Amino acid sequence: MLEHIELFFKSIFIDNMVFATFLGMCSYLAVSKKVTTAVGLGAAVIFVLAVTVPLNWLLDQYLLQDGALAWLGPEYADYNLSFLSFILFIATIATMVQLVEIVVEKFSPALYNSLGIFLPLIAVNCAILGGSLFMQSREIPTLGLAFNYGLASGIGWFLAILAIAAIREKIRYSNVPPPLRGLGITFIITGLMAIGFMSFGGMLTGGGSEDNVTDAAVAKEEEKKEPAEEELEENAVSFNQAINK
Amino acid sequence: MRDKRLTFKKRLHILKHRYRDKKMAPAFNAFHTFLYAPNETTHNGSHVRAADDLKRTMNTVIMALIPVLLFSMFNAGYQHYAAIDAANGISREVSLFENFLTWDNFWIGIVHVLPLVIVSYGVGLLIEFIFAVIKGHEVEEGYLVTGMLVPLIVPIDTPLWMLAVAVAFGVVIGKEVFGGTGMNILNPALTIRAFLFFAYPTWMSGDKVWVQGAVERAGGPDAISGETILGYLAQNNASEFNYSVSDMFFGFIPGSVGETSAFLILLGGLFLIFTKIASWRIMVSAVIGSLVMGLIFNGVVDAGWIGETSKFYGLMSFDFWKHLIVGGLAFGIVYMATDPVTGSQTNRGKWFYGFFIGFISVMIRVFNPAYPEGVFLAILLMNVFAPTIDHYVVRGNVNRRLKRFKNATVYPKTTEGEGAKLQVETV
Repeated sequence: MLEHIELFFKSIFIDNMVFATFLGMCSYLAVSKKVTTAVGLGAAVIFVLAVTVPLNWLLDQYLLQDGALAWLGPEYADYNLSFLSFILFIATIATMVQLVEIVVEKFSPALYNSLGIFLPLIAVNCAILGGSLFMQSREIPTLGLAFNYGLASGIGWFLAILAIAAIREKIRYSNVPPPLRGLGITFIITGLMAIGFMSFGGMLTGGGSEDNVTDAAVAKEEEKKEPAEEELEENAVSFNQAINK
Repeated sequence: MRDKRLTFKKRLHILKHRYRDKKMAPAFNAFHTFLYAPNETTHNGSHVRAADDLKRTMNTVIMALIPVLLFSMFNAGYQHYAAIDAANGISREVSLFENFLTWDNFWIGIVHVLPLVIVSYGVGLLIEFIFAVIKGHEVEEGYLVTGMLVPLIVPIDTPLWMLAVAVAFGVVIGKEVFGGTGMNILNPALTIRAFLFFAYPTWMSGDKVWVQGAVERAGGPDAISGETILGYLAQNNASEFNYSVSDMFFGFIPGSVGETSAFLILLGGLFLIFTKIASWRIMVSAVIGSLVMGLIFNGVVDAGWIGETSKFYGLMSFDFWKHLIVGGLAFGIVYMATDPVTGSQTNRGKWFYGFFIGFISVMIRVFNPAYPEGVFLAILLMNVFAPTIDHYVVRGNVNRRLKRFKNATVYPKTTEGEGAKLQVETV
């Protein structure tokens, strides 16, 4: 139980998708002009993350990991399909996003129109793929924790886009210098907000029994670096796509 | 015109008129209105007659800060000599007139605190003037309070160039890019503090920086200790230390320059509430928030859910009400959280905003051993969420009124227009 609470809190505040890892910036910057739209997209991201991370956990556990195919028989035990992670994870995500799109279009056409291209683009949102990849690289042990991680990361992203949307509604009346209007000031605000979120950085790492956990986390941080680069590319790709559209 | 009998005020006035519509006009205007009451009147349009313009508001806050500043100058010296005594094994009792209000103490304050004030004001106002001249608007008074707050919330041995860099960052990125005073989203003074904290962590935390001279003496034969109570608690997992409650309340403890005296801060806070400059709602709810969180932690310890081996044990068992009189919580609540620009602006929102500031401050203190002085981060975090709180308070208000509007359709409908009009009046 305690590990669930800890992971939940950690994923929302400490490892916040936007402010700690700067993932999912494209839709975060583009759809945060109004609070209502931001809430819609945030809810969609929560849903997609909460569904795809546990699904991908199952994929990872029973298909992709080194030795994951052992359940088929001993001759499959030394297969390692983890090079297929990206393509399979993206396939799951794209499916789920299609589902969300159909549901939103059916039940809330207004939200569907205001989200525009960014709803299908959740499929290439780096925060979503990032969630699954972090789940993989941090070796989250159980399905329940994977669901918890996906949900909490989604909530963290939701809080971030909610806060910046409210701020952008507020600064609409500010006399921002013309060259900075729009994206420029939004980037600056994001940086300042990240400073605010740094209050949680390093929290919970001081506990007696948690020292091993932090060491393991540090070791995994180092392992994580390679996927991080991939994500940067993903980020660039999705951003380019957003611009092209 | 060049009569020697002309007063300084008159000369400024003449200069102002000569430079009217020129680039440097805002600079002269600023000097004129800062030093004297403006003697221009508006000629047309509506105008409100009020004694408290923005400048008066700012000056009131500064008046509330002056006692804190004076106290901090004495305390700087007192802590310095007390630490030397402690290093030599001499224990000392604080006595207001014998060893606190002395010239020696004050001299250390003059040498080490005043430069912080001067650098903060010099750099900040210079940037404000440059921006005003370039953008062609009046110099705004917003920096007057920020410039006074900044030296009060940094450790006393902060190098002046660091302060200058941080002030430049805070004023430009924290305020001017949003269009100046009243437009910023984060409190500029706290932005400056956060910049210092994350850019130069060795100078902003630890057990050396809080007492004047502790850094330069470190490692030498005359080394003195310079850690705050909270830092000590977090490092040693203790809940006891050798300062009495009255020491903590009146502020004879090490800490950031001006944050130590809860008593003077309380007086300043009452003054601000009395003059209606600061919101009592935020102050009260922040105090409630911190007490609630402290009580929760004390309850966890009393219930035995956490063993003495846990690293959080010391701070968790720290009496809940003492959180208010150590560290920067009191200062933050009274002078920082109540910033009318970056705080929540709706009355109901202020309760939430203040409550979470107190709540998160104490939480960071206990759970985050790296930042025992994390009050400023809690306030920054709530600054980030203040617009969201306001948004939902306003939405809630609108929805409630809409509901009342719908329920108020008991009027006979004569014609469409009149019926609607009647309903609107009842709302």
